[in-house]
Amino acid sequence: MEEPPVREEEEGDGEMDEGALGKSPFQLTTEDVYDISYVVGRELMALGSDPRVTQLQFKIVRVLEMLEALVDKGSLAAEELRMERDNLRQEVEGLRRRGPPAQGEVNLGPDKMVVDLTDPNRPRFTLQELRDVLQERNKLKSQLIVVQEELQGYKSGLIAPREGPGGRRRNDTVVTRACNANSDKEEKTIMKKL
Amino acid sequence: MAKKTYDLLFKLLLIGDSGVGKTCVLFRFSDDAFNTTFISTIGIDFKIKTVELQGKKIKLQIWDTAGQERFHTITTSYYRGAMGIMLVYDITNGKSFENISKWLRNIDEHANEDVERMLLGNKCDMDDKRVVPKGKGEQIAREHGIRFFETSAKANINIEKAFLTLAEDILRKTPVKEPNSENVDISSGGGVTGWKSKCC
Repeated sequence: MEEPPVREEEEGDGEMDEGALGKSPFQLTTEDVYDISYVVGRELMALGSDPRVTQLQFKIVRVLEMLEALVDKGSLAAEELRMERDNLRQEVEGLRRRGPPAQGEVNLGPDKMVVDLTDPNRPRFTLQELRDVLQERNKLKSQLIVVQEELQGYKSGLIAPREGPGGRRRNDTVVTRACNANSDKEEKTIMKKL
Repeated sequence: MAKKTYDLLFKLLLIGDSGVGKTCVLFRFSDDAFNTTFISTIGIDFKIKTVELQGKKIKLQIWDTAGQERFHTITTSYYRGAMGIMLVYDITNGKSFENISKWLRNIDEHANEDVERMLLGNKCDMDDKRVVPKGKGEQIAREHGIRFFETSAKANINIEKAFLTLAEDILRKTPVKEPNSENVDISSGGGVTGWKSKCC
């Protein structure tokens, strides 16, 4: 007989065997098939050594082998499906956890980019803002250059303070005025030509 | 009443790929100095230098543009008022030379039609790292009818010459309106007639 002797002693008889035979065929394991085989074998043995019993026994063994193969294959397939299901579950959970950013990426067009809001060096000003700042910087710079030249002119005596429109006022006020008038005009000239 | 410190104001523009040395070329010309640290120009900047040509004080306002692509919309808006444009490439950087045609197209699109152009092959002191032969620079300049110099801001080669030549070319085309003018050289006012190659 093909039943494992260890099982025989461990599980004894009765309840477990009934259990295996009473199971739904879709929940049978190979262990159950061995249990059934044990029960059937014992009953066949009780029938004695009638050659018809021996003949029947071969067929029963064959049927049990077929059942074993089917159950074995079925449980393998079930195990594979279970693993695949678990993998897919994990994958779904992972995707859900990374959900929001992943969705954001999907929504982006080919010419879009993602800005890391925690990056202190992230881009945050527009080109127009930069353009305005640069324009102002360059305007102030050109005005400064004009004023510097004026100042140089006064320092070197090229421009006499009384050339200013103020005429015969106190020198310092005249200087300021002349400076303003000149720089305004110069600035206009530069700006016009820019 | 306002006393001008100059007779004419020329606006020049420096363009070319990032890192070819536009700022260094300008810094050499305006301050006669050189700095090896690379600081990328943000958008657009300018320097002023007054030179004297043919008895005239000419104030050069030289605009230095950022070569980086991301600043292009800002920089191209400055092409319009330029009377002279210096297109700079780096003789040790083949890509910067290949991009010349792109920069020339930019000039065509954004600058005045009569703008005076000039091609500069900078860093000519680094001959051991040269990848653009001088002849190639000369050839492309000839094809476009513009002047060409190989320059080095670091070794101070041809820098002043380039700026003065460009200013002279602009001066030649500048209509003379001052009564005190003795400039009669109007025959060549139409544009650049000669192409010149200067030794590095």
